[in-house]
Amino acid sequence: MAEFDQPPLSHPVPPEPPRAGLARQLSGAAVLAALALACAAAPLMADGSAVHRLDADPVAAALLDGRGSLSFALLAAVLGGALGIGWALLAGLLGNLVGNRVERRVIGAAHRMAGWPLALLVPLAGGLMGKVWLLALVTAMTAAPAVAALAHAELSALLRAEFLTAARAAGLAEGEVLRRHLIPNLTRPLLAAGTLALPRVLAAESFASLLGLGLPPALGSWGASVGLAGRLGDPVAFAPPALLLALALWAACAIADGMAAGNRTP
Amino acid sequence: MNHISAKPAPVETEALTLMLGDRVLLDRASLRVERGEVLAFTGGAGSGKTALLAALAGQPPAGVDVAGGIRVDGHLLIAQGGRLAPRRPLALQVAEVVGHHLGLDLRLALRRTADGLDRMGVPAAARRFDLPPEQLPDSLRWACLFAMAVAVGPAVLLADAPAAGLDPTVRLRLLHRLADWARADGVALILAGRPEDGVAGPADHVLSLRRGRLLAPKPPRTAPLTPLEPPGASRLHARSVGMSYPLSPGPKGEARTLAVLHGIDLDLRTGETLALLGETGSAKATLARSLLCLPPPTAGAVVWMGRDLMAASAPPATGEDADNSGPDHVGLRRARRDLQPLFPDPAASFDPAMTIGAQFDLALESLRPDIAADRRDHRIDEALEEAGLRPEAALRWPAALTVAEAAHAGLARAILPEPRVLIADEPAASLSAEERETFLDTLMAVRDRRRLSLVLATDRYDEGLRDAHRGIVMLAGRVVESADAETLRTAPLHPYSRAMLAASRGERPALEGDAPSAFGQPTGCPLRRRCPLAREFCAQAVPALEEVAPGHHVACHYWDTPAEG
Ligand code: SF4
Repeated sequence: MAEFDQPPLSHPVPPEPPRAGLARQLSGAAVLAALALACAAAPLMADGSAVHRLDADPVAAALLDGRGSLSFALLAAVLGGALGIGWALLAGLLGNLVGNRVERRVIGAAHRMAGWPLALLVPLAGGLMGKVWLLALVTAMTAAPAVAALAHAELSALLRAEFLTAARAAGLAEGEVLRRHLIPNLTRPLLAAGTLALPRVLAAESFASLLGLGLPPALGSWGASVGLAGRLGDPVAFAPPALLLALALWAACAIADGMAAGNRTP
Repeated sequence: MNHISAKPAPVETEALTLMLGDRVLLDRASLRVERGEVLAFTGGAGSGKTALLAALAGQPPAGVDVAGGIRVDGHLLIAQGGRLAPRRPLALQVAEVVGHHLGLDLRLALRRTADGLDRMGVPAAARRFDLPPEQLPDSLRWACLFAMAVAVGPAVLLADAPAAGLDPTVRLRLLHRLADWARADGVALILAGRPEDGVAGPADHVLSLRRGRLLAPKPPRTAPLTPLEPPGASRLHARSVGMSYPLSPGPKGEARTLAVLHGIDLDLRTGETLALLGETGSAKATLARSLLCLPPPTAGAVVWMGRDLMAASAPPATGEDADNSGPDHVGLRRARRDLQPLFPDPAASFDPAMTIGAQFDLALESLRPDIAADRRDHRIDEALEEAGLRPEAALRWPAALTVAEAAHAGLARAILPEPRVLIADEPAASLSAEERETFLDTLMAVRDRRRLSLVLATDRYDEGLRDAHRGIVMLAGRVVESADAETLRTAPLHPYSRAMLAASRGERPALEGDAPSAFGQPTGCPLRRRCPLAREFCAQAVPALEEVAPGHHVACHYWDTPAEG
């Protein structure tokens, strides 16, 4: 017989909900890490003579390509994330110093630009400029508006948080509020917004390389190999880079989604 | 086993038992609801009201086992929150339900719904049901759901938390209309809700669901826990406090503002409890925050013990000044220590990235530099215990606290610097039933022990006044009546105060329609579109606050005129 003399469970304690998106985020991170390791170790797999990729077996060649794609994506994502976050912080700062209208303009531009097909700029830049770091900068800039929009949304939600009012009620000066409460709470959402750049730059670079206008051939890229195999009509050479690229894109999206979902306040 | 008597009631249960796992939600309850009878179940969150209602509707929630006999005639269930798709036009959704139940086509179903809306007292001008629910005010949404029930005309109507979240005067008006319809049409109406939701008001019988049994409800406390002491001298003064927010500039680039608080005067004496009573849009929360200068009001003056807080909290003219040791800043910090807030959402008022104890420590360090660092822990433990928590709570993270614990922790933080005034903005709004009572009792005990002044903003008229010396009734950013608590509880004069009093007692408030939005305030008296006493002159001038008896002020042109016909 069950007992019913227990206190009424007003507000029943729900089972601790698993943090939304955590599983996705972790699996994405694991897949991406595995890919990166495999790519880094790829030269060991191909015997010393077969550094010329076309002679190597297709899987090893695809892994070698991954080194170019992944390292470029990482570089551009860090750049893009930093640009976007800087953009959002700048908007917030301008809003504080000059007025809300300026802030709205600055961030409105980011929202509009996030809707433009900026990824088309990457092959254009690839065609016009040979330098890798310039290409990385352009790729980063195509991802920045989306990052800025999300980062600013997080920032303004945080600035409205009640606990900041509570901190002011405790007599903390604005500098203290910033140091003790704002910055510790801002790092996570800003990082989450920054990871949004990763899938974008990876996709943009692959697209450009697919057209043959991306990374220089010496670096190797999944997009380029897929494009080349497609033009040659070689299914054996086509499948490995295409699969690896799809996997990497999925993993990058999973990380970005997972970060954003886990960060969203319920 | 059905016990069907000669003239069966539309709802009958026989030893109905509901189990959730091995927890008994309801233990062998026998119920009988006749035609035209209105029954209300009340119970705190998680007490099993929803499960009971769903079981009566024949759809027990997953995991709930039902035993015993249930017989319910053709019923309609209005689920919690109404369960509407947020983006489809409301009229379409409602008409579909009506059409489905009655086998009517869309046009006829819409017409029947419109008849139902008449019975719910929704004027034709307010019907914009081609909009999706997320763009409509809650009150219209509920009126439309009730109209749907009226149109379907079931033998039994089950409503879970009907009209929850609406302002008391609006909620009670709708519930009474629904009950009128049930009595007139011989429908057995079962309402379920939390005790503070007011479902008990229009009901013939009220049962409270506690520990698996249906019992008579406990009457709420109506008198203060301990007799109130007479207040001392006046310390906090607010003079013509006003608040307006900038809007985006008009078509010709002119600056526009939205005024939400209009020149409020207020004095608070030592040891006095002042209830700020008002519903959504009354700006009672804005007033409470203005008193704290968080943020400072845009007009008027707030003076604490002879010091003008607004001047002190104005940002220093020389831009960034990091040393913050100017005389004003010291004065402000001193005032911050004396005036402490309680927040409406206590859980959100704690920094999620710090433990409770760390935040308390920071507050103490800032407000009470005179307390040595090694004495702070002791102080924190004391405050937590006084607020009804265990000292271990200091080690926990805000996310690990229940709503009730967060409310008590909020109280502990407020009393930490030994303030003289607590300014509480709906401090129990997130709590239900017993938790709410416990919290308010703790708050009053703390107030009495420390002889604190208390400003308590609430939309619950009776509950707010029960522990107060004085009350101020606010409407649309203005004071419409102010008097001592006893007068407001027994003989309020303003039509709005009377409506709030009626609603808090579960009676029918004598107000029609919904509160206008902040952007669509009528000219003249803000109540005039809902007021039973309104005349033409009410549209021409905003009534001024006049003294009708010593210490009793009313802002109404016709407070002494009885309602017509
Ligand atoms: S002034 Fe007129 S509309 Fe306003 S409360 Fe008095 S009678 Fe009603």
